[in-house]
Amino acid sequence: MALLEAIGIGKTYPGGVVANDGVGLVIEPGEVHAVVGENGAGKSTLMKILFGIEQPNAGTLLLDGKPVSFASPRQAIEAGIGMVFQHFSLVPSFSVYENVVMGSEPRNGITFDRKQAIAEVQALSDKFRLKVDPTPPVGTLPVGQQQRVEILKALYRNARVLILDEPTAVLAPQEVQELFVAIRSLVEQGRTVIFIAHKLPEVLEISDRITVMRQGKTVGQVKTSDVTEKSLAAMMVGREVTLRVERKPTDQSERVAEVKDLRVVNARGTEIVAGLTLNVNAGEIVGLVGVEGNGQAELIEAVAGLRSVAGGTIKVANRDVSGVGVLERRGLGVASIPEDRIATGLATGATVAENIVATRLDDKRYVRNGLLDLKAIKANATKLIERFSIRVGGPGSTVGTLSGGNMQKVVVARELSEQPKLLLVNQPTRGVDLGATQFIWRTITDTRDAGAAVLLSSADLSELLALSDRLLVLYRGKIVAAFINTPDLTPETLGTYMLGLSTQTPEEMQVALK
Amino acid sequence: MSNVPAIDRASRFKAIQSEVVRALGALVIALAVTTIVVFLTSKAPLDALTQLFTAPAAKQRTIGLWVDDIAKLTVTGLAFSLVFQARQFAMGVQGQVYIGALASSYVVLSPLGETPLGLALGVLAAMAAGAFYGFLPGIAKARLGANEIVSSLMLNYIAIELCNFLVRVSLPKPQPGVLTTIDFPKISVFPALVANTRIDYGLIFAIVAVAVVWFALYRTSWGLKLRLVGHNARFAEYSGIRSTFIMVSAMTASGALGGLLGAMFVQGQTWGKLTVQFEGGLAFEGILVAIVARARPLAVPVVAIFYAYLRQGAALMNVRTDVPAEVIGVVTAIIILLVSSTFSLNFITRLFKRAPVPVAAAAGSAAK
Repeated sequence: MALLEAIGIGKTYPGGVVANDGVGLVIEPGEVHAVVGENGAGKSTLMKILFGIEQPNAGTLLLDGKPVSFASPRQAIEAGIGMVFQHFSLVPSFSVYENVVMGSEPRNGITFDRKQAIAEVQALSDKFRLKVDPTPPVGTLPVGQQQRVEILKALYRNARVLILDEPTAVLAPQEVQELFVAIRSLVEQGRTVIFIAHKLPEVLEISDRITVMRQGKTVGQVKTSDVTEKSLAAMMVGREVTLRVERKPTDQSERVAEVKDLRVVNARGTEIVAGLTLNVNAGEIVGLVGVEGNGQAELIEAVAGLRSVAGGTIKVANRDVSGVGVLERRGLGVASIPEDRIATGLATGATVAENIVATRLDDKRYVRNGLLDLKAIKANATKLIERFSIRVGGPGSTVGTLSGGNMQKVVVARELSEQPKLLLVNQPTRGVDLGATQFIWRTITDTRDAGAAVLLSSADLSELLALSDRLLVLYRGKIVAAFINTPDLTPETLGTYMLGLSTQTPEEMQVALK
Repeated sequence: MSNVPAIDRASRFKAIQSEVVRALGALVIALAVTTIVVFLTSKAPLDALTQLFTAPAAKQRTIGLWVDDIAKLTVTGLAFSLVFQARQFAMGVQGQVYIGALASSYVVLSPLGETPLGLALGVLAAMAAGAFYGFLPGIAKARLGANEIVSSLMLNYIAIELCNFLVRVSLPKPQPGVLTTIDFPKISVFPALVANTRIDYGLIFAIVAVAVVWFALYRTSWGLKLRLVGHNARFAEYSGIRSTFIMVSAMTASGALGGLLGAMFVQGQTWGKLTVQFEGGLAFEGILVAIVARARPLAVPVVAIFYAYLRQGAALMNVRTDVPAEVIGVVTAIIILLVSSTFSLNFITRLFKRAPVPVAAAAGSAAK
């Protein structure tokens, strides 16, 4: 009998985003079960449902064959399910053992029995080979050890099923190996592990069985021994490219953006973009291919002026824009559709009209002598609402009340209502329904057809293949392959480069680098 | 306004209506609790409640006190609203009041104070000094990353003690040992609008301030930028708005209002001179006014009218009955608690349903 079973799970978020649509999952006791899929495939939502953070709109959960429903994580924990998130929920100033036992401390009369807490944590850590010193403050530990503390936390609460949400995303390769050792020892001692990932080699190494998800549905469940990386990638991505968009022939001779030896370093000092050189010409869409976190987002932010650069140059329309502010870059004709519309692309508490005018507050049409021309602002917003068919009460409605697709349309309307020279796009259709997707694709290609240079990053390979003229594959902040987009270019080909399994020679790349 | 679609206007009206209902609901609950407290603690509860609820409007003199309080609460409420709209939690209005009052005193007690320009110059000096004092925590945050809550609170103490010091050692005193300056020249004191009350030019300044702040926030590009920074600073940055400039300027403008309030105290009918601790903690009441008014400038005076009434009622109750004015702290606390939490009128029904523990808190960072 299955230990944990999900049958026909459906979850639609307010705003109409369908995250899970008839998802099924069968977890056998004592296995490592990987759930794989691209970003936005619905893995995280499914796990949140298993852990009681989200409640499904449809479907049933069976634990030991009995139907259960979790209204909160507390109930899930009581039922023996533990979860470790990508972003840890630890108190940095508390010691390791305090973090582990917090909420169910061993007591000595009415006082907290610290000795016993330390002993229990030490015992757990030895038993499951999760090496960590119980006494130092958690904040002083490296990320890999903090993760172990999270796992210990779940084990201390007697988790039989442990859900790890992309646990390797934050780890260095050696730490990954240590984590795998711990996972194996967990399984040996009868625990069950659900492992969420999108790095296929790791999945193949650690899991017994794999469930593949795509676009909110389960594509299938396979035994790890029966699949290869290639066949798994094909299941993940799906063979068919669902939508095709017509692109007109354009004059691509003018160079609009020129990035040379660009280096970007993150807050921890790690090099995220490691000497990138690329050009984008007018009238073409250049797609950035790569597993998330390989430098695409940082490259785009650096060009937009939102991220400081550690080295190299960025030229827009033949002007060196290093040290030039966002507003001035926008003045040069740079527009950008950011990755996260709610965090970056919109002020959800402000009105549609205010969001649309936000990037044009130095434009004489809307602002004169520091005073807002409310009529012009409203008229412009009304016009754009109609042109981009945004479903909204009116220009004075608050953006936060719109659905995801309509919010994205507000961003697109603002950025593309006037023809840009250079358009930067990151994940334009994440969490957006099919109708809005098609509309946004059409708008981006129209902008290209009208002569804009477009730099596009997306986690969705079918999107990149549908829209791009050229494709550059990024791996660890470097370009490892470049292609001219032809109908016989397949996701599988891109996949091998995305995962760093192979690299083109400079000569091979040159053909598609311009 | 005529081309606003009807649905737009309807939804805005509905939002305002629900806010008003919320605020009034909170007030009613708070007053009910206060009534219970008074009944439990007072020997003559009905007397005390009568004083609390009717005394401020009973006589011309008390109405004067009430109106004066409205004007002052409005100005401090506006000062807090301005920084809250930019999502800066600067707490410096109190310090700006003292610095503004000092600047005003130095001008008014100089030979200039004897001239017809004295009144206006005193107010302007107060506003400039307050603006500078608001600018300090702003620039410290922008340049050094200093937390504005901490720095503005610390600056408050400096201002209070500086005022204390200067009154003792530097400014002219009527006789040695008293902690006030000599009376300001008549020509530089705000004339009373209604004779024998405290209603003076301060009321006019407050009304003008409401209009100016409203206009600045909703009709100028600076105001839109400020509100966008408050809504989402990252979005503002991405749109090309220099959010540090906006932040510092919002705190500076708010400081000017704090300075104005300082002038309203010392140049107004209330004092007509500078004295130590003249402000009596009123400046901080602006936080309550701004929170209940949701930092909207047009709502600030409305809230001030209610709150000033309660304050005056409590003060009179304090003097005339056995219930201390501190009871009003109960009202304040309950109102802030209810208005700033996600309180809605059906929350009582929810209290009695056995609702599951909110998941968001337990899940913490998970949802992100």
